[in-house]
Amino acid sequence: MSNASKPALECRDVTVKFGDVTALSDIAVSFVPGQIHAVVGQNGAGKTTFARVAAGLVQPSAGAVYVMGEEIRTGHVDQSRAAGVELVHQSFALPPSFTVAEAMEFGATGKGGIYSRKGLVEKWRAHLASLDVQVDLNRRIRDLPIETQQGIEIARALVMDARVLILDEPTAVLSPSGIDMLFARVRRLKERGVTVILILHKIREVLGIADTVTVLRGGRKVEGPLPIAEVSAERLANLIVGDAIARTLDRHERDALVGTTSPVGEGAGHLEHKTAPSVLTMKAVSTRPDNEGIALDGIDLEIRPGEIVGIAGVEGNGQKTLVRAISALADLANGSIRLAGEDVTGKPLAARRAIGLRIIPFERNVEGLSLTSSLWQNWSARELLQGSLLKLIRPAAVREACDRSLKEWSVSYHNSAQKAGSLSGGNAQKVILAREVDSQARLIIAAQPTRGLDIGATAFVWQALRQARDHGAAILLISSDLDELFDISDRVVVMLSGRVNGEFRAPFDIASVGAAMTDAAARTSA
Amino acid sequence: MNEIIIAILRSGTPLIYVTLAGVIAQRAGVWNLGLEGLMIIGACATIVGIMLTNSIVAALLIAILMCVAASVLLWFVIDRLKANPIIAGLGLTGLGVGGTALAVQSIFGSQASVTAPFGLPKLGPAFGAYGVLSISVAAMPFVVFGMWVLLRRTRFGLRLAACGEHPFAARSVGANPSRMRLVALAIGGVLCAIGGAELAAGSLQFFAQGMTAGRGFMAFAAVIFGASHPVGATFAALFFAVVGALGIRAQLMFGDKIPHDLLQALPYLATVFGVWLSGKLRGGAKAASSFAELKDQ
Repeated sequence: MSNASKPALECRDVTVKFGDVTALSDIAVSFVPGQIHAVVGQNGAGKTTFARVAAGLVQPSAGAVYVMGEEIRTGHVDQSRAAGVELVHQSFALPPSFTVAEAMEFGATGKGGIYSRKGLVEKWRAHLASLDVQVDLNRRIRDLPIETQQGIEIARALVMDARVLILDEPTAVLSPSGIDMLFARVRRLKERGVTVILILHKIREVLGIADTVTVLRGGRKVEGPLPIAEVSAERLANLIVGDAIARTLDRHERDALVGTTSPVGEGAGHLEHKTAPSVLTMKAVSTRPDNEGIALDGIDLEIRPGEIVGIAGVEGNGQKTLVRAISALADLANGSIRLAGEDVTGKPLAARRAIGLRIIPFERNVEGLSLTSSLWQNWSARELLQGSLLKLIRPAAVREACDRSLKEWSVSYHNSAQKAGSLSGGNAQKVILAREVDSQARLIIAAQPTRGLDIGATAFVWQALRQARDHGAAILLISSDLDELFDISDRVVVMLSGRVNGEFRAPFDIASVGAAMTDAAARTSA
Repeated sequence: MNEIIIAILRSGTPLIYVTLAGVIAQRAGVWNLGLEGLMIIGACATIVGIMLTNSIVAALLIAILMCVAASVLLWFVIDRLKANPIIAGLGLTGLGVGGTALAVQSIFGSQASVTAPFGLPKLGPAFGAYGVLSISVAAMPFVVFGMWVLLRRTRFGLRLAACGEHPFAARSVGANPSRMRLVALAIGGVLCAIGGAELAAGSLQFFAQGMTAGRGFMAFAAVIFGASHPVGATFAALFFAVVGALGIRAQLMFGDKIPHDLLQALPYLATVFGVWLSGKLRGGAKAASSFAELKDQ
């Protein structure tokens, strides 16, 4: 039999268990060579685990993997790579201190020996050029923009003669124009005969690039690979979400969750209190450079009560610094910050929190919760830290209040003494919401509040933010998901290189927001 | 002048070998605070080996064997038993310092020090005034160069660095971070054995309890000062040796006018200064990345 008739990659009844959790169960799927295959599903559907099994990074507890008809030993990266399977990770896996040339060489196999710096650059220049990656090979990975890093990561994966290239959520970190560039690159790879498996979670992207689509849900294969011509966006959305949850979501939410159609978000259509004084006023705020991220450069930002302002931008353009500046964790070089009319420029976080600043931080499990402390300790932390040092604590009373609050937020848990680390992502986020979204909240910073959450929990967070907005709080939402921003923001501000590079109102146009995310020249105010 | 250079090379060479051991461990992602212990095991095993076998080659082999075994033990405790690497390293230092004292006492009765009949071979009269130096001093520049090539100019070196900096990236290309750490610590064991041998049998011919006197920690400071670069760290170690040699000079020149203890403390003060300076220049030492690896698994 010729290779062409054999599947490029085939999984037979693959099951993966992490402790008690079954991440994949009985996955049987085979991919035709020379095509672009999409694998879709919501968070927690098992997409990344599937990719890692194929790449040899995860050892399945049962099942077999075949490449071009040959069975490979599972759980060994060398074996998968030797068979021609390469994986590009969602958060890139290149040592940041390496130069581009070093990053190529460290993944290569075969003849090695002693190299010189110059020789290494010569060796890999043609390879990168053939993949259309324009970069100085002596620059360090950490100094490169995210789009270039991804190009290098793909080039790294192709240093050997890869026949199957798997890209794990490659679009999550890119701007709309970056996604177009990536897809052009993927199509060229297809022309070179590489079988590409794209792990995606937006239907729009699937329909734009893939030849076939496979849907995973809850660790099982729902359907696929289906030829793309045979599926409608509508059907795909229902396959991804599942009927049970689909019924609880309204249409807008469902569309935003699965990224169905052309994302001309209508916004929330909320009546803004134009006359009410702003809750947050930042005037010409610049921060001092530190090692924790790009500095802010003259940020002007105003948020009124009852308004959700979304911050869009490719990750690493100052969004984290913005949050740190508002929470008094970054030193200002210039400018002023007012909260609810009060100048808080030089004031510590505690004073700002007393005014009504609330934070749902980027890193749920690091900044948001102490995983080794109990639920009631986590829940009460904000109030206790704001109170006087000598105030006596009655744990029984606190636990009772905590129980009441967590029930209100429909957290599922056993009892309030259990460790926060034992909760699922969605429930952990609900504990943070229960702590941060109270009646005294004036400004709520929600930093990537739905990252890694499943569809039900994501919708829950959105509803909570909308409710807080309706009660008059001002909300600053930071997200790298444009569908999410467009669905619930009243206004979207784009950040680029630590500056505000455009401000948009509903209805949002993805093309102009996307342009502002990458191009400094496209400075607009629609 | 020759005298000063000889003094610097004598005190600097053991330090440099041990520093290189620290460099390779650091690049693989292990903060090796067991260097002090490994060095004293090397020193003790060399002298005891000479006494027992009457052969310098056999003595060196014994020292290497002991140090590699101790390094493998450190790897086992960190990697397999998931102990905190800092604590495990300090534990190894305790084991080395205490264990060598115990070994000497149990083999030779209660003696604070043991003197061997001969030490490492010397360069000989062909080298003029420098003939008093041992062959391991002459080998040192070549070893430094070799380590530079290995760590900075081979794919092995790249993968080792990847294991330390981004273990998941290393795993993604098929490297095994755990095995890489074992290799790095084992190579470090060989280097510590040579460093210890040079300390006890290079210009001297005896072992005394606690004779490393913090040199292992000084080597670790040189690793940080030299940004884990084999050549940079070598110069950092050399700098500490120069300060030490100048201290002794000053002692001879000024006699009692400057307190003796202060001059003896000079290399240690230089170490503190060096670590402070490297922190200033680079915004603090890099975090131990081996912790990230444990999370990843």
